[in-house]
Amino acid sequence: MSKKTSFVLSALLAFGASVSADSYQAPEDVLNGLISEVDSAYLTQSEQNIMMMPDNPAYWVAEEGESLFKAKRGPNKASLESCDFGNGPGVLEGAYVEMPRHFADSGKVMDLESRLVYCMETIQGFSSDDPAVKKRHGSGSDMMKLQTYIASQSSGYEWNPPMDHPLEKAMRDAGEVLFYRRAGTMDFSCRSCHGAAGKRIRASVLPNINVPQEWTKAVSWPAFRVGHDNVRSSQHRVRGCYWQMRQGQIIPGSDASIALISFWTDAARGQPAILPDMKR
Amino acid sequence: MSYYKITMAAALAVLTSSFLIAGGGAIADSTKADKVDYTAMSSEQLAEYLIFDAKGFKLDDKTQEGKTVRDRLTQDGIQKACSALRGGSVDGATAGKVIAMAREAMTHPEGGIKLGDWKKGDTVARSGYGFRVGHKVDDHSGREPGGNCYACHELDPNEIAFGTLGPSLKGYGKLRGTNEIILKYTYEVIYNPHTYFPCTQMPRFGYHGTLTQEQISDVMAYLLDPDSPVNQ
Repeated sequence: MSKKTSFVLSALLAFGASVSADSYQAPEDVLNGLISEVDSAYLTQSEQNIMMMPDNPAYWVAEEGESLFKAKRGPNKASLESCDFGNGPGVLEGAYVEMPRHFADSGKVMDLESRLVYCMETIQGFSSDDPAVKKRHGSGSDMMKLQTYIASQSSGYEWNPPMDHPLEKAMRDAGEVLFYRRAGTMDFSCRSCHGAAGKRIRASVLPNINVPQEWTKAVSWPAFRVGHDNVRSSQHRVRGCYWQMRQGQIIPGSDASIALISFWTDAARGQPAILPDMKR
Repeated sequence: MSYYKITMAAALAVLTSSFLIAGGGAIADSTKADKVDYTAMSSEQLAEYLIFDAKGFKLDDKTQEGKTVRDRLTQDGIQKACSALRGGSVDGATAGKVIAMAREAMTHPEGGIKLGDWKKGDTVARSGYGFRVGHKVDDHSGREPGGNCYACHELDPNEIAFGTLGPSLKGYGKLRGTNEIILKYTYEVIYNPHTYFPCTQMPRFGYHGTLTQEQISDVMAYLLDPDSPVNQ
């Protein structure tokens, strides 16, 4: 408990405790704010999860991520504090809600995961085969620890992925096509489950992309998946959806995956992020 | 029925749908991948490029039906036409085209449409197993694929964990009876629901072969047999 409290405290001290559109807000406070705005069966479906959010196991994962972030690691014995996530080297506050974005150094639109991989390879010198880079899933992976730490510093910030570079717009627009693109033995697209309000698969209420207050929770990854007992990422969600749609395995960090994440982040624009979230 | 009516922001419905040119050969040279200008393509062309040419998916993975993920991701006519709506309501021209494609591909079982075993149909309706490929692969030799009807439909009133993406089918047979017209209609909706509901979200279980003819007859019994729990 003390570890989590110190993380929250340091977060509050670092970002200031005032409540405005772009400052840190605890994830449970963000969620309760959204619930007071809209009548949503999706946002309110698990009272237990909302109650557990202040004790989200993802906080410990984030704390380990902070140590990893600051440690001199890899063949180059360098920390990630010189990695630019869009707002300058080492600046993490509000950085994640402005991703995916175009990076001049790589010439590509990158999501958080692909940006982390890029920095771990170029700054720290990890090879793409190193488990630190290659292992993408599970609370015990370096990837999830780092992603959870970085993303958590954007809780309460409004999603605002930049659309200034032509590639950012092109990827977002292609992602929209992918979102509505039906294929496979089940004829599904993302829209099959995420295009109507208050609908359920079995007992699970689904988020609707057309309700921004629902959609910000839907895209607020990393989140602790209670049913998985692990913190999960955006890329993990994308992989799981394509698996359930029977459309095969999307390749993590592929432009297809980043285009889809660009579109879904844009669809939550202006809504505050819930980071880390806790999901079913 | 309002099965294919969509609660989608009207703004999205008016987005241009130039999908017909998607997948054109102009951008299909993967050997020049790093020189491709994404901003020079339409969003539909870029989406196809990202899937098939920019290593978006493990395209060569084998599927249970003896094909590949590339085949799974390649759209047929109905998938293309319905995707172009981007979640908006189906327009008359698209509806007509989709219904025509569905009718053309319709086949009926030899010896007529018959009801099978509702108890087996119950198993099919509950099981979501089958046809998943990727980081985990469903093994059909160890377990029969299901239809996963409960993911979207209410059926047996005693089952409370039912989805609501599709209409409730509670009391389906009790309401409709089992004459020839109802049998044919029910079969055709399971085989290819676009025959009646163009651009519905429901899968084409017969057309894709994800349910066998025997499984379809069992599910039909689950829906229509007076002894089935669906009709209690």
